[in-house]
Amino acid sequence: MDMNVLIAVMVILPIASALFLNLLHKKDRTIKIIAIITAIVLPIIPLLTPYGSHFFGGYVPLAQDPSLAQGLPALITGSQLFQFHLGIMYVFSSAKQLMIFILGLITFFAIFTFINESKRPSGVYAFLMFMGTASVSAILLSDDIFNLFVFFEIAALAQVGIVIASGIKNNYETALKYILLGNIAGPLLLLGIVMLLGITGNVNVTDMIFTLKNGYVNPQSPELLIALALIVFGWLYASGLPPFHTIKSAVYSKALPHGSALLQAFSVFTMVAIGIIIIRLFSYNPFTNIAIIGISLIAMILGITMAIVQTDYKRILGYLAVGELGYIGIGLGLGTAFGITAGLFQAVNEAVITAFLFIGFGTILYKTRISDTRKLGGMMYVNPKVALLVLLAGLAMAGVPPLNAFQSKLMLIQASIQSGLPELGIIMILLSIVTFMTFMKAFYTIYMRPKPKELEVLDNTIPRSTVISLVVFLIVCLTLGLFPEIATNSLQTLAAGLV
Amino acid sequence: MSFYDVILNKIRKIQEKAGEDEPVTNVTASTMLTAELTLIASVLIAVVMVRLIHPVLMIIMVAAILIIVFTAMPIMPRLRREQNDDLNNMMFYVVVALGVIVALFYWGNLNV
Repeated sequence: MDMNVLIAVMVILPIASALFLNLLHKKDRTIKIIAIITAIVLPIIPLLTPYGSHFFGGYVPLAQDPSLAQGLPALITGSQLFQFHLGIMYVFSSAKQLMIFILGLITFFAIFTFINESKRPSGVYAFLMFMGTASVSAILLSDDIFNLFVFFEIAALAQVGIVIASGIKNNYETALKYILLGNIAGPLLLLGIVMLLGITGNVNVTDMIFTLKNGYVNPQSPELLIALALIVFGWLYASGLPPFHTIKSAVYSKALPHGSALLQAFSVFTMVAIGIIIIRLFSYNPFTNIAIIGISLIAMILGITMAIVQTDYKRILGYLAVGELGYIGIGLGLGTAFGITAGLFQAVNEAVITAFLFIGFGTILYKTRISDTRKLGGMMYVNPKVALLVLLAGLAMAGVPPLNAFQSKLMLIQASIQSGLPELGIIMILLSIVTFMTFMKAFYTIYMRPKPKELEVLDNTIPRSTVISLVVFLIVCLTLGLFPEIATNSLQTLAAGLV
Repeated sequence: MSFYDVILNKIRKIQEKAGEDEPVTNVTASTMLTAELTLIASVLIAVVMVRLIHPVLMIIMVAAILIIVFTAMPIMPRLRREQNDDLNNMMFYVVVALGVIVALFYWGNLNV
């Protein structure tokens, strides 16, 4: 019997820590210590956890533990019920290890910068960050689609909380809009899941696939197709793909920089987790892949063209982050092992790079309290080292070698050519150039043009923790750029299993 | 009138309608122009993929999009106006997207 407790700890630890931190009002030192210890442990656990499955409550399938099946009637032991999963199951593999490690790393640096940039760190804010991380880890691990939905809702609430806690102008309005739109997408996703349960009699994804592949369910049944459509719709909300790209970019822009860094990581990994489930369940249907590619193309084009015309750098980053999600979707939609590996690699890279950019540009907010690029300028003189780090982050996002997104974007272009869709490769190259241009426009206006007379730069020093975070993100970008096999070797097993 | 001036006038008109009184700068017009060209180029290249369904259909669609683009240009200022943070707008597009997705997945699968 494979009972790996550490798999569950990846979700339980941040939840327990979050609940405890929530109780610690005005105990600043205790909040700092507990938050930092939890944040340090989070990326370490996936590295120590062996691959395998965790069955909550010990409910393994009867076939795996014959002692449980003793005395049961032949109606159960002689049927497929014998194989089915009885309780919630979490599955941990090399790809999930990498993604949860990166999520843990981003959580650590978000917490690290938050604690050092805030004079009085709020336990409630740390609660929200850890709850979000726990939820997204659970979404990545869970093989139970109903359990996934529960954490999908908790993640949405945690994201709303992070925006509300930011104290940025109009943040309440944006948070309210996000939750209102979630009130459309969430129930529809649940309806899709319920329909799947009704059709297949299961909430376990592996069991659902079994019923679909073995002729127990008509794969072209209208109910199943509607369920697929509703699950895809919920996926769009969770990821921030169109038509939710506007609200998602607004959400990023209304959070504090460390909050935005974490929020985009939530979106990226939720997109990957639900995207993988959609491919696992419905890849028999060629229209699924066409739809994923179509939606991703729209996200890329809308995200990046909208980013160019923005004047608030947080909004620029928000739209660029949405545009980059399109690259991930293209990889998943191509449906080949190489394409999916490239998409997953792009997801890992994007999570790191966008966090790098949000925290890097966040230093401008820290020094000026301004995010409107029209009112900024001359920031290069204020802190040239941070400016260089931000420039490198922008180059990474655009896919400039030897940084990591170069490798994943190159793989995506190769995968699209191999799949007979060179047009996708051309669009990806075109949009990477425009991404570079968009970033350079923001970088020039903030850092390089003369400082406006009315711009007041605060006398506070950028915390060393923020600079350390940026340097570590750069090291991760360089490492994955120079040695992409560190990531791709972990990801290709999952990708091969999806084809 | 050059294309640049057309873009400039269009932005001014849209800003007037939206009640914004910000000046239309060179940067605003240039970024809008870049976004416009990116949008058109990306859509045209994407439509070439219709060749997988039928080459003639692709030619018709490329021609149709070219005509639409040249008659409706500049598109980007309008697109930007539509992609705002207004909840009614967002709700509208969410409901439209839901309808399109359900229709495509349902009839698309049953009839392809």
